[in-house]
Amino acid sequence: MIKRKLILIMENKPGALVRVVGLFHQRGYNIESLHVDPVDDFTPYKFIEDELETKFKNNEISRLTIQTLVSDSLMRQILRQLNKLIDVIAVSNEETTYLKGVLLDENLL
Amino acid sequence: MGTKLKLSGADMLMRALHDEGVELIFGYPGGAALHIYDALFRQDKIEHILVRHEQGATHAADGYARATGKPGVVLVTSGPGATNAITGIATAFMDSIPMVVISGQVASHLIGTDAFQETDMIGISRPVVKHSYTVFDASEIPKIVQEAFHVATSGRPGPVVIDIPKDMTAPENLFEYHYPEKANIRSYNPPIEPDVEQIDRAVKEILKAKKPVIYAGGGAIASNAEDELFRLNEILDAPVTNTLMGLGIYPATHQRFLGMLGMHGTYQANMAMHNSDLIIAVGARFDDRITNNPSKFSPDAKVIHLDVDHSSVSKIIEANIAVFGQVKNSLAAIIKGLENNLNEYKKEKLEPWHKQIKNWKSSHGLNYDLYKDESDDNPILPQAVVQHVYNITEGRAFVTSDVGQHQMFAAQYYHFDEPRKWINSGGLGTMGFGLPAAMGVKLAFPDDEVLCITGEGSIQMCIQELSTCLQYNLPIKIININNEALGMVKQWQDMNYGGRHSQSTYQNSLPDFIKLSESYGHVGIKVEKNSELKPALEKAFSMKDKLVFVDVYVDPSEHVYPMLVANHSLEDMWLSKDKKT
Repeated sequence: MIKRKLILIMENKPGALVRVVGLFHQRGYNIESLHVDPVDDFTPYKFIEDELETKFKNNEISRLTIQTLVSDSLMRQILRQLNKLIDVIAVSNEETTYLKGVLLDENLL
Repeated sequence: MGTKLKLSGADMLMRALHDEGVELIFGYPGGAALHIYDALFRQDKIEHILVRHEQGATHAADGYARATGKPGVVLVTSGPGATNAITGIATAFMDSIPMVVISGQVASHLIGTDAFQETDMIGISRPVVKHSYTVFDASEIPKIVQEAFHVATSGRPGPVVIDIPKDMTAPENLFEYHYPEKANIRSYNPPIEPDVEQIDRAVKEILKAKKPVIYAGGGAIASNAEDELFRLNEILDAPVTNTLMGLGIYPATHQRFLGMLGMHGTYQANMAMHNSDLIIAVGARFDDRITNNPSKFSPDAKVIHLDVDHSSVSKIIEANIAVFGQVKNSLAAIIKGLENNLNEYKKEKLEPWHKQIKNWKSSHGLNYDLYKDESDDNPILPQAVVQHVYNITEGRAFVTSDVGQHQMFAAQYYHFDEPRKWINSGGLGTMGFGLPAAMGVKLAFPDDEVLCITGEGSIQMCIQELSTCLQYNLPIKIININNEALGMVKQWQDMNYGGRHSQSTYQNSLPDFIKLSESYGHVGIKVEKNSELKPALEKAFSMKDKLVFVDVYVDPSEHVYPMLVANHSLEDMWLSKDKKT
């Protein structure tokens, strides 16, 4: 078990955060730390805007950082399950990024 | 055009459901849903079926969805209406069934005040829905409805809840109605077309295999992939097994069909999986009822896993090749790849594999001999009931079931040649599912034979729906395999708890199901002897316009076999009470 950091970009909608937290709880993963902020500078996420053919507006999306203690195989499963949540736009760990179902081989968030 | 159409939230909801193609909804009214029910009353496009309990509404919508492939729609009120719907939502969630559940909620200003019939439906349902919406702005109702149906029916399908506070549907607030052309959720993009590279790898692996098995599950049915699966196997000529959820996706009477696999799968299906060198998994998720102990699962097999859900692949069994996309499209791509390389594939190379499977089948297949034991000196065997039902309905009926021994006997002995004919709660294992699900199927297919194979335990969990069947004249046939006990519980107690039948019998407290059926205006037939069985079933099926409840008393000591030995491999099975592999 290693402490790992996950970063999520998600829609800033009521209920979105609790779905993420609920997923950890339901699957028996423990959250070590959690930080969430609305995003106001979209420049690092231009590639997401391009990919989704959208323009983010202020307070429309949030950036979430979660630290959790998990094994390698569980890490992949967590990423996939987070990626499945409808309000999650992108999720990454140290090595990979899921951008709406597409797996990319680096941490872009 | 002049003035735009202005509607209340409730009227917009009805209009949006109609625009979404909804013809039928199942529900139960109550305070927080009354504006919606009034809008329902004032329109004539959508029919509403009034159930007797909200659980019945969700199961009926679920049965409708499984049989038709269209989303089931449920309308309930807040509080207990919503919580009663939860079991049915969870049932649909576990089996990936498209469903939209609209729940009334107390008015916005009352939320959080412990108001009458207030409950946090979004919170309670969250772990068992694909997604959910609360309406905060009535003008968004059409958009939310459209998104809900899009989410429920695309990707890996599932239930979606829309919670609507009462003030959002108030008749005095009017809005311009506009139904968007297409749902667009920027953060939601389920895979459709498979990756070409993975398809190439899959094709190469398939061409090499000497002992392949096609293992198809509910995802293949959800993707309507029966033609592709059949075509694939016209090329491969491989043995095919189906999960409990996948029965019917490949014709059960086809010579390459092995039967169901897993916990109560056939000997040949489990042996073939265990000894195969390539498993082609199509819309199946290697559930614990399939794999037994994952570390002992099919030791020599490579796995090609076709699925629409990333998180289902390599979750329990590591896939060597993962193909994400609608399995229908993935199969089509593999077929194309194989067709381009037909000269490299010789069906004959599978001959030794087929011979091996034939030996398994002839030694320990479902060898229960129906006709040998059918004298009145012997009790009726539950398997015989299903076999007679299969013969009388010529294998063409829609069959719903509940959960327990009767469910497994139905899965083993009713041989489904078509998908969407076998309707059962595979994932959650919900007793009480069968009767309301059969109502949903019968409403969708009024001219088809719809029967519910159930047990005296399960049927009592939603028996109130007999009243709904009378109101809407639903001539379902209920085959109650009555062993006067919670059979599967009792079987486990026999096998693992020294025969101590803790709380699995009723001490002569069962109702007279014949009188009960008659009190609801239906027909009841009691069967206690082998010689009565076939004539009674024939009589039941001859009464086309009546719901007939056939209460068949069967051998209470019968167990379901084969049965996997817990924590072992797929080769390790109990074949009878005293015989293990």
